[in-house]
Amino acid sequence: MIEFYSVAKEYHGRRVLKDVTFQVGRGEFVFLTGPSGAGKSTLLKMLFRAERPTSGQILVNGMNVGIMPHGRVPELRRSMGIVFQDYKLLPTRNVFENVSFVLKFLGVPMSERKRRAYQTLRLVELHHRLSALPEELSGGEQQRVALARALVNDPELLIADEPTGNLDHRLANEVMKLFAQINVRGTTVLVASHDMDLIRSSGRRCFTLDRGRVLEGLVEAALPPQAQGKRDLPVHEEL
Amino acid sequence: MSAPAQGFMVVSLLDEAISGLWRARRMTALSILLISFSLFLVGVFFLVAENLRSVTETVREETAVTVFLKADVTEAERAALEKLALESRLVAATRFVTPETARERFLTSWKSLATASATLPRNPFPASLELDLLPDAVGSRAISGFLDNLRAQRCAEDVQFDVEWIRRLRGVVAVVRAGGIGVGLLLALGAAFTIANVVRLTILLHRDEIEILRLVGAPEVLIRGPFVLGAVLQGLLGGLLALGFLWAAFEGLLRYVAATQNVLLGVFVVRFVAPEAMAVLVGGGVLAGLLGGAFGVRRKNLEG
Ligand SMILES: Nc1ncnc2c1ncn2[C@@H]1O[C@H](COP(=O)(O)OP(=O)(O)OP(=O)(O)O)[C@@H](O)[C@H]1O
Ligand SMILES: [Mg+2]
Repeated sequence: MIEFYSVAKEYHGRRVLKDVTFQVGRGEFVFLTGPSGAGKSTLLKMLFRAERPTSGQILVNGMNVGIMPHGRVPELRRSMGIVFQDYKLLPTRNVFENVSFVLKFLGVPMSERKRRAYQTLRLVELHHRLSALPEELSGGEQQRVALARALVNDPELLIADEPTGNLDHRLANEVMKLFAQINVRGTTVLVASHDMDLIRSSGRRCFTLDRGRVLEGLVEAALPPQAQGKRDLPVHEEL
Repeated sequence: MSAPAQGFMVVSLLDEAISGLWRARRMTALSILLISFSLFLVGVFFLVAENLRSVTETVREETAVTVFLKADVTEAERAALEKLALESRLVAATRFVTPETARERFLTSWKSLATASATLPRNPFPASLELDLLPDAVGSRAISGFLDNLRAQRCAEDVQFDVEWIRRLRGVVAVVRAGGIGVGLLLALGAAFTIANVVRLTILLHRDEIEILRLVGAPEVLIRGPFVLGAVLQGLLGGLLALGFLWAAFEGLLRYVAATQNVLLGVFVVRFVAPEAMAVLVGGGVLAGLLGGAFGVRRKNLEG
């Protein structure tokens, strides 16, 4: 589903990713971790062509997204569900509209849009705030709206950038359960996260970004000491 | 995309366009007013041209040469006059117009003056003999001698030969109309320019939202379409509003003429613009909207 081959990425000559090669199969559930500024968001952004690799090839569902024509990018993005690190909710639209509008692009009729948006918002426990504007919501609530929007179109691939960053333990676990359910239904899931405990307790496969490269497994040595110190469980190098 | 999905797209495009206009309703109202003002001015030109033209037409329907007769004209004098006219080889037909017919004609031509003339104590229109000139007579050299001949008749109060001033008036109509089209083109371009800038500004204002729409895979038509469609709607409303203003102004003038019995104005305010001119006004608004909208959503404006 996702294939990276010797991918490098520079921002204004500064190298963020050096030689990234890894694959994620269809139907897998994978975590991506690494210290802040390691390039997790950058890596995810290249999957939906918000950034282009400086060199190397990236295949998503067999499509070379780095060189695909501009006109086909919307279609690529519609086939995915994306949870952005900064949510990216439409500030002038309420919760319900923020979730349902992506279904518009897929030509889903109004009644169906209503039904699906409501169902999905129920999954993230926000069905009682349908008419609230994003600015009226807490950080965690906004994050859950972003989650609902990413899930509402039943994507083939779910990409989530720190989807639990603003959630308490209970909600974070709920969200992980949700991801697991979606994964069981066949959606490939890729989650970038700092949360060691969450990754560890999930027992899922993990990649660690370390100095511009991707290492297989939860490589704690690559992470800053505070992140490592937080753990009180034994280390799983390979899950 | 399938056919139902496409139909659906059109509906949601319209939906987005209208709610977009509504969200920025003050800006929308302003630009609609601006467009309507431009088109209203064009409409004024059309109205003036139309009414000048109607003046030339009513006159042309009448005869090229009119001999107004003295009140005491005898049957024999009139017959002699007719004979003189027909023997000149310049006249195709003659027609005697009684004062009553003259008045009736006047009333049908200048409806707005009906009340004014009704108040007159007696029929002010003299009897006349109308002479239809042969087609080649109008420009011929013999015509001035013929006119002098007519004037010399005892029963002729006055002889009128209309060709020259009609020609002049037609020239004025052509100038007014061309001026209207020229000014209209300029104003429409101005309106389009304004719309383009409004669209550009709106895009700038909603840049974050547009970025989000892009990131979640909104089709380009759904991103740009509402702006273009919104601009077209603004143009359409502006055109209709201009038409409304023009009609109100025209009605107001008619009432003014009726109330004040202003004869000069009454002669020139008779007809509203033709349907084609209305179509030009509304179509001009739509076109200005389309042009402005398309220009406003250029790639350059949408990126960065
Ligand atoms: N648009 C950009 N222009 C220039 N530099 C950028 C840009 N985006 C990211 N960077 C740089 O690239 C590096 C990686 O950023 P990125 O956001 O991918 O990190 P991250 O792993 O997601 O961090 P975090 O865990 O804090 O979210 C950072 O040093 C950042 O400053
Ligand atoms: Mg990040």
